[in-house]
Amino acid sequence: MVKVWAIVRVELTRLLRDRSNLFFVFLFPLLLIVFIGAQFGSDFSTRLGVVADAGDAEAASLIAALDDLEGITTVAFDSREELADEVDRGRISAGVVLPDGYGDALRAVEPVEVVFLGRPDATSASLQALVGAALAEQVLPGAAATLLVSGRAAVGAPPVEAAELREVALAVEDQASRIEVSATTLGVDELAEEFAGLGQFDIGASSQLFLFTFLTSLTGAGALIQTRQYGVATRMLSTPTSTFSVLLGTGGGRLAIALFQAVYIVVISTVAFGVNWGDPLGATAVILLFAVGAAAAAMVVGSVFSTDSQAAGAGIGIGLGAAALGGSMVPIELYPETVAQVARITPHFWANEAMAELVRRDGTIVDILPQLAALGGFAVALVALGSWTLSRALVR
Amino acid sequence: MGAVLRCSGLRKAFGDIQAVDDVGFEIAPGETYGLLGPNGAGKTTSISMIAGLLHPDAGEIEVLGTRMTPRALDAKAAVGLVPQDLAIYPDLTARENLHFFGRLQHMSRHDVRARSDEILEVIGLRERSDDRAGEFSGGMKRRLNIGIGLLHQPRLLILDEPTVGVDPQSRNAILESVEALAVEGLAVLYTTHYMEEAERLCRRIAIVDQGRIVAEGTRRELIDTISEQDIVRLKVAGDVHAAAVACDALPSVSSADAEDDEVVCLLDQAASSLPALLAAVSSVDASVVGVEVREPDLEDVFLYLTGRALRD
Ligand SMILES: Nc1ncnc2c1ncn2[C@@H]1O[C@H](COP(=O)(O)OP(=O)(O)O)[C@@H](O)[C@H]1O
Ligand SMILES: [Mg+2]
Repeated sequence: MVKVWAIVRVELTRLLRDRSNLFFVFLFPLLLIVFIGAQFGSDFSTRLGVVADAGDAEAASLIAALDDLEGITTVAFDSREELADEVDRGRISAGVVLPDGYGDALRAVEPVEVVFLGRPDATSASLQALVGAALAEQVLPGAAATLLVSGRAAVGAPPVEAAELREVALAVEDQASRIEVSATTLGVDELAEEFAGLGQFDIGASSQLFLFTFLTSLTGAGALIQTRQYGVATRMLSTPTSTFSVLLGTGGGRLAIALFQAVYIVVISTVAFGVNWGDPLGATAVILLFAVGAAAAAMVVGSVFSTDSQAAGAGIGIGLGAAALGGSMVPIELYPETVAQVARITPHFWANEAMAELVRRDGTIVDILPQLAALGGFAVALVALGSWTLSRALVR
Repeated sequence: MGAVLRCSGLRKAFGDIQAVDDVGFEIAPGETYGLLGPNGAGKTTSISMIAGLLHPDAGEIEVLGTRMTPRALDAKAAVGLVPQDLAIYPDLTARENLHFFGRLQHMSRHDVRARSDEILEVIGLRERSDDRAGEFSGGMKRRLNIGIGLLHQPRLLILDEPTVGVDPQSRNAILESVEALAVEGLAVLYTTHYMEEAERLCRRIAIVDQGRIVAEGTRRELIDTISEQDIVRLKVAGDVHAAAVACDALPSVSSADAEDDEVVCLLDQAASSLPALLAAVSSVDASVVGVEVREPDLEDVFLYLTGRALRD
């Protein structure tokens, strides 16, 4: 055990001694938590694209009404093509195209065609309902007027202009102190609901923790390659130290580094930003299992690659890639269903899910047993793979 | 007291390459034993097996009577290995490197401290003990590399080409400390491809080539294998290889090999054979532009046994 600890200590010493690590391990996570917190805190809303004639008062009032809805921000576009393009790429959740002369048509009570551009997902569907409701509100007086016109004609009353009747209907509506139809709030965006009541930094902190714990661990794999390259690993084996102890020490060193990064983020984010980490037991279990997986992944990277720079490149690539896919950069709820399914191959996905349960829904360790099982699976598989690859690499 | 190291019949192949092919020898306490051979001869592979880093395909290794295997931790405790390639952490200080490996050697915290100070003194790094090894010169790194192997006072010290890439001054310091260690009764296994080092340090030397020990003995015994004979080096202008073949054909010449622009002949009596040699060279339209006659050394032994130069 003395030897295992000696190896662990040397690994930690080396991590702290490398100046480039100081930025990435200590400063960078903080910056990102602040940055993402600012993003979520100020402007976390679904973007709805709108194409409309700028001088059209009716169009402007419709857009203003949509903008007022909670969780929705409208973004103006010049053409339908441009809007459709952005919706396709997923940068805009959905879009509405109001034809030229929209206001005139409304006032003259003539038919208008409004186009809704959506994607085959839940966000689009709820946006469509919201837009429909807002439109209905604008069209209602005209529709009522038309009804009256045809009604009068049926009973042989002298004809009246539908447009005039509409003005009357509008006036009546104003008077009637606008009984708000609940349709407006019906489709309240599920995302807004999901993230409601969270502290500004709560989301950023836990997902960043997983991103950085994994990333720091993997990029640290370069140190493992150095240990092999320097011949130090071989030299360890020439002392009365068993291969098992060397594996345990090197793996333990990786784990110490992963945990070091995780604990640092937990402590600093709690102290500096008052981040809520949920049930302590649950959060500890999630972080511990995740760190074991991250450490073992580093052992794999540190064994299968033969140069420092290969390992660094692979470490950053895998570290950022898995984080992005697993929902540590963008909440998984924003992903299309298929991507969200694929995301399950990353430990980040399960860790983020578990933290969502703990933090957003006030779950306890019992509620996250499935996620813990998945993380445990990752840990066991990666530890087995890491020990195997490293023990082979040590004697090479 | 018996041998510190006893090994026999060692073999190791990497794919098609027979890196070590039936190597065996013994080293007594206080003896410095040399493995002399060119790059790729199988020295490092032999040492890796002896130090228990590599499983031999065949053969036996005993250190102080205990069988050495990759799992034989007791046997390993008696060995100090100084690998050919530096095996130190450049981002740790000299002292930290020593402490770390000391801990891996079952040494107590107190012993590690005391011994580290001693070793730092011995390897001349006391002043620089708290500087990072990465900032050291090549020679200083080499000395630290050796110091780590000595820290736990092993019974057998294995030095694998410890002077490669070292300035002459450091090199001399290294050789002197090895001599001093042997005087203290340490058994040393020393590999090199420098003949002078083997001649200076080692009581007995094994000449290895292509995985095999082609000759073994004291310097005198080895040179006597090409006994009483003389070495004649002919500097030749023209086709050196044809000249070598022509010389080799002479009855008085036991071997003749081309080396750069020289033909190196081993023969019984240099004086009486010289005219014949000159004639032989002329016969292939080459001419002799210089002649050197001398006693053979280990390089010549190697050349005689393998037909190749020790250093290429
Ligand atoms: N791990 C290895 N894999 C494949 N071939 C090797 C390995 N180690 C050594 N060899 C080969 O074995 C031979 C002996 O190498 P080595 O023992 O390093 O020689 P030396 O130390 O005398 O220079 C060489 O041909 C070398 O290429
Ligand atoms: Mg070698």
